[in-house]
This record gives sequence, structure tokens and C-alpha cells, in this order.
Amino acid sequence: MKKKVPVLSLLVLTGIVISCLACGLIMTKDPLYMDLAHCNEAPGKEFLFGTDTMGRDIFSMIWYGGRISLTIGFLATLLSTALAVLVGSVSGCAPARMDGILMRLTELILSVPGLLLTVFLQAVFGGANVYSLSVVIGLTGWMSMAKVVRTEVLQLNHTDYVLAAKCLGGGFFHVLFRHLAPNFFPSVLFMAVMNVRNAIVAESTLSFLGLGLPVEVVSWGSMLSLSENALLTRAWWIILVPGLFLTATLLCLTNLGNYMRGSANKRHSNLGCRE
Amino acid sequence: MWRKFLRRSYIIGILHNAVKFALSVFALSVLVFAISRLAPGDPLYAYYGERVEKMSAAQQEEAMERLGLREPISAQYARWLQGAVHGDFGISYQYKRDVKEVIAARIGNTLLLGGLGFLLIFALALLLGLFCAWREDRAADRLICKIGTVTSCIPEFWLSLLLILVFAVWLDWLPSSGAYSVGEEGNVADRAAHLILPLAVVVLGHLWYYAFQVRNRLLEEVRADYVLLARMKGLSGRQVLYRHCLRGALPSYLSMMSVALPHILGGTYVVEAVFSYPGIGTLAYESARYQDYNLLMVVSLLTGALVIFCNMLARTVSGRIDPRMRMRFTGGGGEVGGL
Repeated sequence: MKKKVPVLSLLVLTGIVISCLACGLIMTKDPLYMDLAHCNEAPGKEFLFGTDTMGRDIFSMIWYGGRISLTIGFLATLLSTALAVLVGSVSGCAPARMDGILMRLTELILSVPGLLLTVFLQAVFGGANVYSLSVVIGLTGWMSMAKVVRTEVLQLNHTDYVLAAKCLGGGFFHVLFRHLAPNFFPSVLFMAVMNVRNAIVAESTLSFLGLGLPVEVVSWGSMLSLSENALLTRAWWIILVPGLFLTATLLCLTNLGNYMRGSANKRHSNLGCRE
Repeated sequence: MWRKFLRRSYIIGILHNAVKFALSVFALSVLVFAISRLAPGDPLYAYYGERVEKMSAAQQEEAMERLGLREPISAQYARWLQGAVHGDFGISYQYKRDVKEVIAARIGNTLLLGGLGFLLIFALALLLGLFCAWREDRAADRLICKIGTVTSCIPEFWLSLLLILVFAVWLDWLPSSGAYSVGEEGNVADRAAHLILPLAVVVLGHLWYYAFQVRNRLLEEVRADYVLLARMKGLSGRQVLYRHCLRGALPSYLSMMSVALPHILGGTYVVEAVFSYPGIGTLAYESARYQDYNLLMVVSLLTGALVIFCNMLARTVSGRIDPRMRMRFTGGGGEVGGL
């Protein structure tokens, strides 16, 4: 029995992504223009989602900033996936000692909470922009995936066709891309989707705390960095709107990832507590 | 009782784990030290941050000399390690105080929040997972699964903001920041009131992920053949679930929860920062903002060491309660093969 395709999540996610990419068509105002005559305005006809503390139109900022949040999620995942596949497959193919060292290192990095490590690296790198933030988040997000890749590679290494490919003189990268990658692709895909999700969370958390993107660079996280002020003025829309979009995106990604994880276990329960 | 503790294999197990712990922490310190010296450009930045720009060339030269930044990085590390072994982790440039003092003043608060959060998640996830497994695919299970997925997707900092907005700003029931009101440091009720919201976020943010794992693990267990035998013996479905399936799922739950520690701790740090709760997490973000790398380095190292320690503890415990995990040392660290 197959799992149901998460149609709603797919639709919402596609909707958000397309709207963000085509934000020029949707935006009703300039997202960067600070209309000081209309600060902290509640949602209404002119400003659909209200304005923020600096008088910017939140409706336009959502789409404009979403582009940056999604870009960071995508770039960071690209980097972390590449690193994970590299470390995981090298570790899986290498002799036991090398494998041991690589895995100890992976576990060592895993022992520091991801966000703390991201904060640490970002602080050391200094001045965040979209690319540096993507690199930092990507650098801290490859470990769990590398462990999965390694486990898969270890199993695949014992199959006859990988052995045959090696005997015929296939190099490491040939075997990796030709024989190993297609096999561990499904499990990596699931983790990659989760990595996009984690990267978006990391970006927004860092920007919210004032350690990521500055307020002038609009992203869902940096929009929320104004929320301390919003709490004082009770401007709930400044907190609610970007967070809802953020959460909706994360929820869709999660549903998508869970769908990719593989088919559900549908054998009958032996407990027999049902009719 | 004493005999058991003095068994040779037991002592070897403990020694083995102690050596492993020391090596891990040592390697972690190398890593963390290397990162803190990664700062591109002027290494003085790692110490003084933007204050460097206000210093004259002579002052900069003098500072470089005094801090030993002219030496190669290995020598710098050796010197740092020497101090660290003697309990000297350097000073925090933001607080102008010994790093150790700054951390010691706050670690209790973090352990309280994180520890309570961890225990609550541990117990509630097990209960929720059991309930969902018992009601598999019925309305209650489906509803909880839906709600759980949504809550686990909400970023912790935003959930904190929502709760502050509702319970502190709109309803004005609970305080929105800090660990206690001014001058009420010893008042238990006041501290508890300050703890409710952060604790709720820590628990809500992680609960479902682990409850769902428990549920799925139990659903696997429920499909095993021994369940049929137990049912045939005349046990009720509920009895089988509680007595047999739960026991089978518990060891993997324990090892899962030990892996959970860095996640929950990381979550605690974020929540602390949002609530300005005076703990290690808030400290980490403040020191990141003021480029206090020395402090940030020690916080990372300390957190990592704590996680490594708890992982080892969990491995030992699960080795003791699950005969399947006992491999190399019958008493001590049940080393799991494969890795």
C-alpha cells in the first residue's frame, strides 16, 4: 500500500515558491520603502498585512523576503548535501581506520547543538550576507546525512555489481556516481528536504536574534527581528504574518519529506484489539 | 552488592569510558579552538572585536605580543590547554571577568530549564507514543498525529513569541522575560511563574518528534510474532502492549533520547535567548553579538562535553537493561558494533 501524495502541501509550497520568485507581479508596494507616515499600521485596505515598525509594507515584504529565505535554504542544502555525500561515501569506502576517524569527527561535531555551532561560526566569520549565511548553515548541517550515506554505502559495497565495477578498474568517483549514488538517492532525498527545512529555521532564528541578516535585508527571519518592538506596541501582525508563512513552508516541506521517506508499514497489527 | 561493582570487567568498562571521554573532549577542544581562530583577517578581532579599530598601531602591536598571537597556532593551543587543565579558561572580554565565573553564575538556570524540559519530554513522549500506538489509525491517533506535525514545524523562537504575545501581552497572566522578578530571587512561586512559558516552548517544540518515534517503534513491535503467542496465552491486547511491546521498544527509546540531548539543549538555548532567561544560551547569543569568542568557545566546549558524557551514560544504561546490546564489556559501556 502506498502513501498518499501530500497534494495540499505540494500545492501550497509551489504557490509560495512561485509567488516569491514572481514577487514583482504580486507586490503592491516597494518592500524596501520606509513610509514613515504609516508606521505600525494594522492590516487594512491599503496595507493588506499592515506595516512594520519602520513603515514598510508587510504584504510586499513577505514575497520579497521569502525569496531570500528560500534561497538560503536551497544553497545551504546544496552545500550540506554535497559535503554529506562526500564524507559519507569516502568513509564508507575507506579502510576501517580512516572510516573510524571520519565517523568520530562527525559524531564530535554532532555533539555541539547545531544552532550553537552555526552561531559560533557566523560570529567568527563576521558580517552576515545571504551567501556567507548559506555557507555557514551548510557547513553545520551535513553530519546526520553523512552517517546515513555511510551506512548505505557500507551495505552497497558488498554487492556484486559494485565489486565488479571496482574489479573492472572503476575509480572512486565513477563507482560513486554510477553505482552508489542512484541507490542511496531516495534516503538522501528525504534528508535533503529536511535540511532545507532546518536551514530555513536556522536562517530565521539567527536573523531574529540579530546575528544573521541585518534588518535592511528583508527575509522572514529579519522581519521577525522587529518583534521585540512589536510586542511593546501590541502590533501582532508584525509577529504573526511572517511566522505563519514560515511555519506553513516548514509544514509543507515536512509533509513532503515524510512522503519521500518511503511507503508506510501497513501489515496488520497482531494486538488484535480492533474488530 | 560490592562484589558486583568490583568485578574486573566493570572497572575496565569505566576506565575505558573515561579514557574515551577524555579523548573526545580533547578532540572537541582542538576543533573549537581552531574555529575560534578562523576569524578572517586580523586575529586581534577574535579578542577585541570592533574595538580594534579604535586602537593605535603601537597598542595593537603590544596586544598581539601580550596575547601571544605571534606564536604559531599549535603553540597558542598548547598554552590555552595548559591554562584550561588548571581551570583557567581565560577572561570574557564582554564581562571583563573570568569565563568560569560568568558561566558558573548561569549554568544552574540552564540546567533547571533544560533538565526539566528533558524529563518532561522523556515522560510525555513515552505516554503519548503509547496512547497513539494503542489507538493506531483511529480518530484520536490521527488527530494527535496532525496536531503533532504542526507543532513540531513551528520554529521555537516564533512559538515563544506567540506565547509571549498571548499570555504576557494580551492576557497578562505570566511574565515575559527573565528568571525571576527584581528582588524575588529566592521566591519559588515567582521562579516557577517565570519558568512556565520557556518550559512550555522547550517541551512543545520537541515532544511530538519523539512521541512519533515511540509510536512507530511500538507499531513495529506490535507486528512481531511473539505478540500472537502472548495473545494466544490469553493476555489482553493492552497487557501485551504494556508488558511486552513496551519492554522491547524501551532500549531503542533510551538511545534515541540520548541522541536527542543536543537538540533539546540547542532548543533550550534559543528559548532562553527569546525570553532573556539568564542562562548559558542567552550568554552564547550575547557573546556572539559582542564578538566575545573566548566565552563562546568555552560555552560550545562545555555543551559538547555534556552531550558526550550523557551519550556515554545512556549507552551504558541501555547496555544494562537490554541483553541484546551487551557485547564487549558485560558491565560497562555496552559498545554497539557496526560503527
